[in-house]
Amino acid sequence: MDFSFPKEYQLFRRMVHEFAESEARPLTKEIDEQDRVPFETLEKAAKLGLMGVPFPQKYGGCGAGEMGYCILMEELNKVCPSTAVVVGAHTGIGAMAIYMDGTEEQKEKYLKPLAKGEKIGAYVLTEADAGSDAAAIKTRAVRDGNYYILNGTKTFNTNGGHADILSVMAVTDPSLGARGGITAFIVEKEFPGFRIGREENKMGIRGSQTAEVILEDCRVPKENVLGQFGAGFITFMKTLDIGRLSLGAGCLGGADACLEASIQWAKTRQQFGVPIAHKQSIQWMIADMATEIEALRSLVYRTAWLVDTGQPFTKEAAMCKVYGSEVLHRCIDKALQIHGGTGYSRDFWIERGFRDQRITEIFEGTSEIQRIVIASNLFRPEGVRISA
Amino acid sequence: MRVIVPIKQILDPAGFTVHRRLERVFINQENYIINPNDKNALETALRLKDAHGAEVIALSLGESRVDDALREALAMGADQAFLLTGEAFAEADAAVAALILGQAIEKIGDYDLILTGQRALDTGASQIGPRLAEYLGLPQALGVRAVSGLDNGKLRAKRNWKEGYAEVEVGLPALLSIAPQANAPRYPHGARIMNAYREWEVTTWDLADLGLTEEELSPLIGLKRKAFPPERTLGELITGAPDEAARELAQLLKEIQ
Repeated sequence: MDFSFPKEYQLFRRMVHEFAESEARPLTKEIDEQDRVPFETLEKAAKLGLMGVPFPQKYGGCGAGEMGYCILMEELNKVCPSTAVVVGAHTGIGAMAIYMDGTEEQKEKYLKPLAKGEKIGAYVLTEADAGSDAAAIKTRAVRDGNYYILNGTKTFNTNGGHADILSVMAVTDPSLGARGGITAFIVEKEFPGFRIGREENKMGIRGSQTAEVILEDCRVPKENVLGQFGAGFITFMKTLDIGRLSLGAGCLGGADACLEASIQWAKTRQQFGVPIAHKQSIQWMIADMATEIEALRSLVYRTAWLVDTGQPFTKEAAMCKVYGSEVLHRCIDKALQIHGGTGYSRDFWIERGFRDQRITEIFEGTSEIQRIVIASNLFRPEGVRISA
Repeated sequence: MRVIVPIKQILDPAGFTVHRRLERVFINQENYIINPNDKNALETALRLKDAHGAEVIALSLGESRVDDALREALAMGADQAFLLTGEAFAEADAAVAALILGQAIEKIGDYDLILTGQRALDTGASQIGPRLAEYLGLPQALGVRAVSGLDNGKLRAKRNWKEGYAEVEVGLPALLSIAPQANAPRYPHGARIMNAYREWEVTTWDLADLGLTEEELSPLIGLKRKAFPPERTLGELITGAPDEAARELAQLLKEIQ
């Protein structure tokens, strides 16, 4: 067993780290305060291939697989969770759905510009009454000659307000439900009947945009059916499966930033005549953070290896998501406690990190859903089927 | 147009701390990077590639780990990379290094421009550029901050000169040493990073490949002892109201001049 990263990934990490520090870091406070998507950072990222890291080079990607994509998410989240979530929704689920189940023509037409960062992608599933219960969507798609006519309102769509190409899930046969009645579509924002609705006023990741997408008799050409007709639920769940891993990687980066900041602060902050690093209460918090981070790192990169070597990974990816988001929860909380009043101040990033963290336990499958996925994967071989 | 860029791999200063009282260097993480100023030379070459379609060749002398520096150069945009390595090269000082690099450059041949960094961050000797130019019999411009023109086999460059710069013209082939403020080196593209390790080759040459003998490689400089430079005493602290302090400082500066 060799746990060291191959050299290309070491250099890739160094590049992404330097990029995040030099290009994303200076904007983190500003984009949070101004609720602004850092398009200038995305443009620079695109020039380095960072909008298509996991995809093969023939589709305009870096050919770095999930290993490379996890490194990107880890390093970006260390610095700016907002920038990371914009890149993540674009790459990890929006474009990923097309990569996993798109035809060669669809990959040529849609995946290539997405991977090159010429176009921005989004993944459009959630509705007002269909979140964790994704199969409960109401958005309808009805055939009309060479087109499908889509009607419905999708909520909480990351990049929804500025994406060019959206992977959308809609009902094609209500009598069949998730088993054959849901189809995935590739929708362009220019299609007639496509409209952007209300923008969410979020607690955190305010440098990313979350918007309603409204489809009113939206005309989608029939060749834009993504994957098999009626198998859209599977396409979307497969995409979420793989997306969970990179969310765990993002949490790893965020938690690492908490640890690093806490160590530096504990070294310099003096109380009772000594740096607080000399206080056992602080040492234990830092030791616990470091231990959980190390465990998460092993889980994330082993799971990335499972994906890149074509092995089953559903259970492990759900573990990455739930464990990662909860490790990050504990780490940002401890980091804030160690920083005391300074951590609570908006002058320092810990306060923003605290707000940014909370969504990681909710989006792309809540912690509760992740536990269902893990449990059902444990019980299935025992002959027990678990449903939500 | 063929541009050859000799680069040096150095220990990453972010990975060690210098303990002055114990007179020891503590290496926390043994990481190696391309000498930052050599990246300015590489960036200058890559801009000539972007603008004029130049072929860029990176070249380095050192242990086998220098392979990583050359692959990073390939990832940044270099077309070819050559590693000059072998036990016989281990003791090379600046004179010997220039000889080895010079031989390799002659062997590559057909070059128009050699670009070096002005100064290495570790030794700070600033010798490779001038020595290499002498060895190859090339005109040289040192401390170049910008290549300002290129036509009819002639190159114009702005080189640092006192408080400003001097614009010089050299006939090609020539050697330029590039100043650190010349440019901001590009990040390597993600796909090129993958290809640099998976697809592309670094050519390795040893003593025999370069037609050199060990006798030719005896260094001019021998290392007798390593020591920390004497600690500098703090300068004079000027206190008082700002206008008075400024006057006093100005007076002192005049006296020094």
